[in-house]
Amino acid sequence: MKKLAFGLYAALTVALLAWGFYQAIYVAPLDAQQGEIFRIIFYHVPSASVAFLFFAISLAGSIGYLAFRRNRPERAQISDAWALAGAEVGVVFCSVVLVTGPIWGRRAWGIWWTWDARLTTTLVLWLIYVSYLLLRRFAAGPQVQTLAAVLGIFGALDVPIVYMSNRWWRTQHPAPVFGGDADSGMDPIMKHALLWNMLAWLAWGVLILALRYRVERQQQKIAADEAQAAMDAIL
Amino acid sequence: MDARAVLDHQFLVAAYALTWAIQLGYLAWLGLRWRAQKREAARSGRVLRNSTVANP
Repeated sequence: MKKLAFGLYAALTVALLAWGFYQAIYVAPLDAQQGEIFRIIFYHVPSASVAFLFFAISLAGSIGYLAFRRNRPERAQISDAWALAGAEVGVVFCSVVLVTGPIWGRRAWGIWWTWDARLTTTLVLWLIYVSYLLLRRFAAGPQVQTLAAVLGIFGALDVPIVYMSNRWWRTQHPAPVFGGDADSGMDPIMKHALLWNMLAWLAWGVLILALRYRVERQQQKIAADEAQAAMDAIL
Repeated sequence: MDARAVLDHQFLVAAYALTWAIQLGYLAWLGLRWRAQKREAARSGRVLRNSTVANP
């Protein structure tokens, strides 16, 4: 039953991604100023939104781990698995943002990169979560999960700064399209296409987040089994 | 199609292709880890059973 539900969800996600691609390439009109290069928005913006959401999941998992680690070990392990899965899948989406952004910038501004507030804070966010993953991968000892949880909480503080950066400071990066000034906004057909792509990439993100969580829980079980076997061998 | 439009098209294709390369690359890595874990879990299960038999 679970396998069937997973298969149906995966099929729905693929259909949404195909529909989103069709909307982005064939339905959304050309931008009057930027032409075809504007269509990068349909992958760039949804990836940023999904990355922010998953870093928030990582934050919740990190807080949960710190809250439960002393008295509810099973819940703490579940929280830790969500924290790790959210951080890792968030880094994947943030990487997409940092790859597609400079490609767009090269055509729109004539430069690959500039140290403006939005770009710099996004790069810092990516570096914080990459360091979180490196800590999880290479550090050893009983305190690794606690240290990672603390880093995960501090890393998440950068998310609102990234989001607000082009509202607080003058940036090379464009002003917010949604929720910005009175003259911000988008052609309804473009907006429609963007919302479809947001939904599609969110569905894809949830799919790989669930897989990553499952892998981490399995890893925790293997580690527990091995520890049990070692204890049995000693006794 | 003028030269600018051709270049825009190439950059757009590059952005979309790199996005898919990152996403599918990650999915493939996850799949490989899943498979390796299944083997490890089977091995770990055997070790656990053997140790239980040795120390009933």
